[in-house]
Amino acid sequence: MTMTQKRRIPRLLQFALVVFGVYFGFILVFDVLLGQLIPRSLLTMYMVFVVSGALMTFTFTEEGAQELVAPIKALVEDPSRRRLRNAVFVMVPLLAGYYTYTSMLPGYEAPVELRTIHPAPPSKFKAYGKSYNLATLENPYRKYQKQDPAKYRELVKAGGDVYIKNCQYCHGDKLDGKGPYAAGLNPTPINFQDVGTIAQLQESFLFWRIATGGPGLPAEAAPWISSMPVWEHFLTEKETWEVILFLYDYTGRQPRSWK
Amino acid sequence: MSRLAILTFCAGLLIAGTATAKPGDAAKGKEIYDKRCTWCHGADGDGAGAAKELLNPPPRDFTSGNYKIKSSSFEDMVPNDDDIYRMIRDGMPGTAMPGWSDILKEQDMWNLVAYVKTFAGYDEPPAAQVDFGKQVASSGESIAKGRKLYEEGDRCVECHGKSGKGSASKRLKGDAGERTWPRNLTKPWTFIGSSEPKDIFARLSTGIAGTEMPSFADPRSKKKLSIEERWHVANYVASLAKTGRKVDAENTVIKADKVEGDLPGAPDDARWEKSTPTTFYLVPQLIAEERYFKPSNDTITVRALYNDKAVAMLLEWDDRTRSVPGDEAAEKLADAPIAEDGVAVQLPVTIPKGMEKPYFGMGDAKHPVNIWHWQSGAKDATESMGLANSRGFREIEKRDAVVAGLKANASYSDGTWKVLITRPLTTSSPDKDIQFAEGKFIPVAFAAWDGSNNSEKGSKHTMTTWYWLLLKPATGTRPLVAALMVMGLLAGGLLWWARSAKPAA
Repeated sequence: MTMTQKRRIPRLLQFALVVFGVYFGFILVFDVLLGQLIPRSLLTMYMVFVVSGALMTFTFTEEGAQELVAPIKALVEDPSRRRLRNAVFVMVPLLAGYYTYTSMLPGYEAPVELRTIHPAPPSKFKAYGKSYNLATLENPYRKYQKQDPAKYRELVKAGGDVYIKNCQYCHGDKLDGKGPYAAGLNPTPINFQDVGTIAQLQESFLFWRIATGGPGLPAEAAPWISSMPVWEHFLTEKETWEVILFLYDYTGRQPRSWK
Repeated sequence: MSRLAILTFCAGLLIAGTATAKPGDAAKGKEIYDKRCTWCHGADGDGAGAAKELLNPPPRDFTSGNYKIKSSSFEDMVPNDDDIYRMIRDGMPGTAMPGWSDILKEQDMWNLVAYVKTFAGYDEPPAAQVDFGKQVASSGESIAKGRKLYEEGDRCVECHGKSGKGSASKRLKGDAGERTWPRNLTKPWTFIGSSEPKDIFARLSTGIAGTEMPSFADPRSKKKLSIEERWHVANYVASLAKTGRKVDAENTVIKADKVEGDLPGAPDDARWEKSTPTTFYLVPQLIAEERYFKPSNDTITVRALYNDKAVAMLLEWDDRTRSVPGDEAAEKLADAPIAEDGVAVQLPVTIPKGMEKPYFGMGDAKHPVNIWHWQSGAKDATESMGLANSRGFREIEKRDAVVAGLKANASYSDGTWKVLITRPLTTSSPDKDIQFAEGKFIPVAFAAWDGSNNSEKGSKHTMTTWYWLLLKPATGTRPLVAALMVMGLLAGGLLWWARSAKPAA
């Protein structure tokens, strides 16, 4: 009977392989392939589920459970494995002690601060000495795109000049959020080329963000760290609308519209 | 891996590093130029785009025919197509010119090369190339030789300074009359044509067109260098670029160690060497009038120590000019009117409990900040340490720095300011002054003024956003006790298990 049985990987090793396989799988997919580090706490939580799930599967039958713990029992009970046992009995408390010590040391890592990148806009806001209703606000120059293409090109050009004199330092010549000073800012400047930014927004949202800048953000978006200037102090209302035309024109994107 | 595979891999690396010139179509290049490049370089290629006055270095004027970064001989103004291609593909660090390879296709970039050359009427390739000879590998010996040549007869020191930080002994200008700054050779990330020895060799050989950087391959030059000598200097310059003052984006916390006894009282105290430096990017102030567009420095390095009475911060930043109003030599180097150099530390009056902090630009109505402002003094005035509380740019209350116990001790040497600022951990006005406490993450920000570079207005300075200061708490005995307990319990449990186990049948 045993002669015909295929050689199998010992059950305890199988268990270890499954757990470590999933662990390194997470690291490979998120940290390496996607470049998105998984927070440690989240990974710990996932691994608790993985370990308990694997334990349930591996101990589903009585024999299975027996087989899983057999090597551990043998380690304690089999006199021929005495040396290995002594080594394990020294290593395990040492490792646990080391882990306890390092995890209790005071941390020097900066606190993690989460902020909302695209906060919900207010229904109304004030700029240029008047009140705007975001639900009805429209770019007054957008109509020329169809009505008067020559005039529209002029407006876009004027917007580009505003951009290069005011915005490129942070948002970059390529509008990719990587301007010459971007590395010195936290949060980093928005990348307008990304499909997840201006293409998802209405022009009125951009007008609100530009005119009132970082300090005009709601608290959940951490206005105190945003380096976005309050542009109503530097640009006219017309220049702000022109630069918005330029952002969409240069990136080849369309503003979101409810129509 | 087979040898062939390794060879192929190496050949691949070589090809990736250099560009192979491809014929470009100037007419197609113009279409791209008109969409992407005119904003800075101007529709006529003369560098007169909208941002011309706001950038340093200014956008290249292609009609001048000057190309700063090239590999053709100094005798020939015409660059190789590869040289232009490389600048378009990789961009120029330390300038507003980005690399375009993520937006433009390879052929598009070759088309641009063809079009850009037409502005200077370049239609023939250069007649002569830089002679690289045989590269001398970097070694202690080569670096020592390079250093000697660098310093000899003030060859490089005249502009770049002994330390390589570009501490100015003369005022430099570019071909269009614009101010230029000698490269700070200790900041490789600002080398517009890369900090590889081969690139440095090329700069030494060609000079930098349109600037006062001469060719050291020119046999008519009194300071000329042989090929071998240029390799030594290149190796020396590359060695200057290896510094511990580089920004580590991951490290946003200044960690202050606790010392027993007195804190260091001077910037050159040897104990600072042991403390960990943290370097941050400084960016020009662009959020309030008047804005600052052409900064001359981009980093600040901070070290901190504390004891049971006070905290000391050592601020170190490069400044090519010691700006002394009233001093004739200093005023010659400055963009008039000259002002004092300076540095400031910004801290919240109250250490925030949650995420909410004061606005990083001098606080806000609800959250005031302390500003410690050191100024370098003038010919007839000594340096000064100021203190202000502000609630935004406009609401600034000047206070007495002496009463708050603020002290400063500064030194300037060869292109670097070091300012040591000390303050007691606590003061008698806890409602107006930050009260330091160990183990807390304290928001901190910095600003610096170069009085020789248009800093006459207080708002014209470089600055950081919020980072953190942490007075490292003592480790204490808790982790050790806990670790010993865990070890004891586990070892006991295992022994009990082993003893109670039955030997296998």
